Amino acid sequence: MNLKDSPEQQAFRSEIRQWLQANLPAGWGKTVFEPQGEDERAAFRLQWEKKLYQGGWSGITWPKQYGGRGASPIENAIFLEEMARADAPDGMNIIGRNLTGPTLMTHGSPAQKERFLPPILRGEEVWCQGFSEPGSGSDLASVRCKAVRDGGDFVVTGQKIWTSFAQYSNWCFMLVRTDPDALKHKGLSFLLLDMRSPGITIRPLVQITGETEFNEVFFDEVRVPVANLVGELNQGWRIAMTTLAFERGPEEALPRQVRFVREFERLLALAKSVQSGGKPVSQDPVMRQKLAAAHIELETMRLNGLRGLTRLARGDELGVESSFTKLYWSHMYQRLTEIAMEVGGSAGVLSAADAQAPAQGHFSHRFLASRAMTIYSGTSEIQRNLVAERVLGLPK
Amino acid sequence: MDFDFNSDQYMLRDSVRRFLDDQAGPAQVRASGAAFDAQLWQGLCELGLPSLLVPEAHEGTGLGLLDAALLWEDMGRALLPAPLIQTMVVSDTLVRQASAEQAAQWLPALASGQARWTWAQHEADRDPSWLQVQARPQGQGWQINGQKMLVPAAASATHLLVSARGSDGQAGLFVCEVGAAGLTIAPHHSIDDHSGLCKVSFAATPAQPLAGGTQAVERLLNVSALAASLQMVGVATAAMDLALDYAKQRSQFGQPIGAFQAIKHKFADMLVALEGARSCAYHAAWALADEDSSAPVAVSMAKAASSDMCRLVCNEALQIHGGVGFTHAFDVHWFMRRGKYLEHAFGDASWHRERVAANLLDASLPA
Repeated sequence: MNLKDSPEQQAFRSEIRQWLQANLPAGWGKTVFEPQGEDERAAFRLQWEKKLYQGGWSGITWPKQYGGRGASPIENAIFLEEMARADAPDGMNIIGRNLTGPTLMTHGSPAQKERFLPPILRGEEVWCQGFSEPGSGSDLASVRCKAVRDGGDFVVTGQKIWTSFAQYSNWCFMLVRTDPDALKHKGLSFLLLDMRSPGITIRPLVQITGETEFNEVFFDEVRVPVANLVGELNQGWRIAMTTLAFERGPEEALPRQVRFVREFERLLALAKSVQSGGKPVSQDPVMRQKLAAAHIELETMRLNGLRGLTRLARGDELGVESSFTKLYWSHMYQRLTEIAMEVGGSAGVLSAADAQAPAQGHFSHRFLASRAMTIYSGTSEIQRNLVAERVLGLPK
Repeated sequence: MDFDFNSDQYMLRDSVRRFLDDQAGPAQVRASGAAFDAQLWQGLCELGLPSLLVPEAHEGTGLGLLDAALLWEDMGRALLPAPLIQTMVVSDTLVRQASAEQAAQWLPALASGQARWTWAQHEADRDPSWLQVQARPQGQGWQINGQKMLVPAAASATHLLVSARGSDGQAGLFVCEVGAAGLTIAPHHSIDDHSGLCKVSFAATPAQPLAGGTQAVERLLNVSALAASLQMVGVATAAMDLALDYAKQRSQFGQPIGAFQAIKHKFADMLVALEGARSCAYHAAWALADEDSSAPVAVSMAKAASSDMCRLVCNEALQIHGGVGFTHAFDVHWFMRRGKYLEHAFGDASWHRERVAANLLDASLPA
């Protein structure tokens, strides 16, 4: 056991640090930030994606044969940690790199790999995910959006929802019903759909934060060539499950933790500046307890992630601590935002447009935004069922 | 970066676990009452456990805190009665602070199990670092005056490691032999009798001073809190396993109660808390073993997380048992009792959170 970097890991870390320093705009994170407008931000993130590719940092865990670096899980974690530490922008194509890519490497045909993987790596084609529907949330296998074979095409009709960044996407991977008569898991297929096809309507959903990251997407007889079926017909459920497995895990949690720590540092500074009865909140014994609890939880998130990462690095199966990664951090982060609201006191509700908002309204925004975390990618209730059944062996 | 134990450490754990599964646990606790179990002690000594942290030069095994960590967890899982863990924790102090002469005098007997050691730290104050017991030079040696409480297994120990304040107000550690003049031991009554908690009074009791001063007192508290955290991880693991077995076989409304989401969700939350505390406790073991500057904060994080976790897991484990959980005949209560003692020993969750807060928020302290 040793929680410190090895000399090789240290060298890798400083290589990334130097690259980031040379490639992020001057004054990044201090005087220069991401554009405020959503469209400008998307364009900015896509540019950043391309810069990462040019620097050799796009898809670093991808095998060399697919244009990646074949980086180890620990190198990947170091890379993502340093990105987070520098407040580097999220790329625009996280879904493409983290979900489409690995799914196609596992289940795609040689032609699909050749067609789709290189543009993902180069930041040229952005992807979105078409799984959930209005009637199929936690019960994902009940999806009804259908694909009917017609000559050399599938004809897709139906609706998807919660589709992040559909408006900026070139492609969508989808779970569609291809056999309405089969049992629900057995009649599903996995399709790759060109978002420029005729018959697609994208309607933004205004979130409680006022932003429009999510969309409803309507498909009206959209034609998809049979060549864009991944795996076998009616075997889509198994493929979708692999995709979801790529969504959760220690490599994703560790950089997220670093970003949370950056926010927590901001919260500590706020606690030292906000006055309560003429004294800083940081001297209030009750608030000290809560801030310390939040710190311990943040550290726990990091340490759980390092345990999982160690297993990956040793080539072992992920352990129990990786089964609840998202369940843990989603609730932890919600508690963090509640504490931040308390530190702000009555003024905690003020938002960014108000000059008196604590921390420029950052935490009132995060309080709202964090409501999504215990819902997306499987609600906490579904996560708890999975942990109880798959890890602890409780009966269904 | 490597955050796991090595295969030797797991092998050692497995061999100790086989012994504990056979010789310790609820059955031993029921059979032995609160009295010292000489046969169990003999078995633990034959495994060489008291010698684990003692250097080979003093007839020990020469291993470190990281090697002990998994064992302390399993000793919690097996409800191991005092004073093995106390003896091992004390040996960490003696190895660092005893003079050559003292080491030769004490360590071989400690390693063989001929001597049994415990600590006297707590006084009649909620703050575990509160120190009023006095140590004064007297002739060639020193004398101790005052009262300690919550001393584990004092009645079966041969030596006590005592924290006390010298005439200059400085804290330090001292060694008293049980049976020395002016030393009185009386058992407490508690909800965890098997920890053998005792009151100990000192009236001009002769003592030998150890080097290390305040730092040695603090390290003793930190190592004790680490051992408590690891034991709580073990205690909670065992309580949760009992509840899991019960939930899988107990049937109501025509199905095992473990099939109900109300029960499943409790278990999921218990597991999340348990594994988080385990991560923190292992990290603290590494930090203390590595003498990393972050060690005191790492220990406080572990003790706070483990104390909160152990409360949750033991209480829920009992609740999941329903009515039989409230009977003496089922074993879950033994774990709740031990967990409750450990939860509050060496600083409870809020005491340790305040240590974390001071580190985070008070500029005067080193980060």
